[in-house]
Amino acid sequence: MHLIQRMKVWKELRQLEQRAREEPSPSTFVDLGQVYINLDMHDKAQRVADDGLALFPRSAELRQLADCARRGTSRQRAADLRARLTRSPNPKTYRELAQLYIDLGDAASLHALCQEWSVRFPEDAGAWMAIGQARLLNFYRDLAAREGQEAVRCLERAVRMDGKDAQSRRLLGEVLYRIGAVRSAQVHLRALQELDPADAEVEALLRHVAGLADQGDDVRALLGGVEEQGCLVHPPPPVAASAPRQEESVARVREGLATVAEIEGVRKATFIKGSRALVKGAIRDGRDPFLRVVRVVAKAAHRFARRLDIGNASKTVVDGDFGHICVCVYGDALAGAQCDRGTDLDLVMAELQEVVAGALHMVAGEGA
Amino acid sequence: MSRIQDTVAELHRLPGVKGAALITNDGMVVAAALDDRFEPEVIAGLASYLLMTTQRCLAEGGLGKATHYVLTATHGKAIVETFDDSSLVVMVDQFVDLGRTEAEVREAAQRIRRASRIA
Repeated sequence: MHLIQRMKVWKELRQLEQRAREEPSPSTFVDLGQVYINLDMHDKAQRVADDGLALFPRSAELRQLADCARRGTSRQRAADLRARLTRSPNPKTYRELAQLYIDLGDAASLHALCQEWSVRFPEDAGAWMAIGQARLLNFYRDLAAREGQEAVRCLERAVRMDGKDAQSRRLLGEVLYRIGAVRSAQVHLRALQELDPADAEVEALLRHVAGLADQGDDVRALLGGVEEQGCLVHPPPPVAASAPRQEESVARVREGLATVAEIEGVRKATFIKGSRALVKGAIRDGRDPFLRVVRVVAKAAHRFARRLDIGNASKTVVDGDFGHICVCVYGDALAGAQCDRGTDLDLVMAELQEVVAGALHMVAGEGA
Repeated sequence: MSRIQDTVAELHRLPGVKGAALITNDGMVVAAALDDRFEPEVIAGLASYLLMTTQRCLAEGGLGKATHYVLTATHGKAIVETFDDSSLVVMVDQFVDLGRTEAEVREAAQRIRRASRIA
């Protein structure tokens, strides 16, 4: 790219950045991100996508931009690691690069890398684990028996080479019980438990597997059956029921807001997620200016912090003739309070933080 | 002018302070003393946007004017003291003793007010 072209691109970038600031919309962020991607500046594209998603969390095109930028960043990182491996090969870098290739779905590069890895470090089980992991992904996606056989073969070899490698054992145990080889799976899961007796996840998995019917240990036949039926024999363990249900979350938010409103000096309190708000205190209706102030302060603070690269703005306090406005943010959930001068702001902020933390599992859709 | 610059530079020397800048409401830099990672113009532009957006929203809601602003983010904090047509923006790290630094910022703001009146 010659100088004049470069200047044109920079000018366009400045205009797009200004547009994204002044007229934020998914398309303005996508246009800006696309220019950064074209310039191979994937980290900046990623930041643009993150900024856009903070304002428009449901935008599908911004999610695509974020994904594209993330893949671009991974490719750049992979090229750096590849160059580093050429200079000074070591198993740790091979492992990191293999994981990147798996994430990118680049099977050819992964295969070539693992061949090189196992030739240079024949005692290291990592290459077999990486190939097994990639094959396993293919098997779970397509339910093709051949991929499953290769995955089991590679993972078994990794386990033979390094019996203390927890990841190979876990992957092998999981695939075996999913195809019906429950007893074989239990052997690996028990070995996994011995490696870390405190691992609650493995304990739960063993309990789940104990209740399943064993269909033998002929892996080839079992995989063939899976391919023929088009489905796995046993389901994964049910998701831990620790997440509170939606109603519980809403109740918790209401209780939290009531606690905030009871603090001496607090006049209004709100919890906002998406377009809905729960309110407590002297708020007339949904058009109360306090609600808008909370949203605007949170958005402006978010943009300020992200652009200055100081992370996510989680707490903001604005003082003025009106007293104090406190805003606490977690993800797309906001909690805010308006209080008089002299109010214990530390206590208010701590309670607001509890409100947003308690609402992590709440789905937007409940209003006041 | 040099007294304002001195005040801003003094703030920058406080523990945990990453930089300080006096900016006009329309985003121009009057005086600044910042770590290398912060560009004065960038701080001025972003702080101006933050303050103007908040002030406009407060005014439209009949709530009056914001005079002091504290923003806490994952890797740092910002303290802002507003004047009639300008603002003092102080960037601090996340570990700073906020109460003490806020007191220093308020004191510095008083000195800047006095210096602006004399100028």
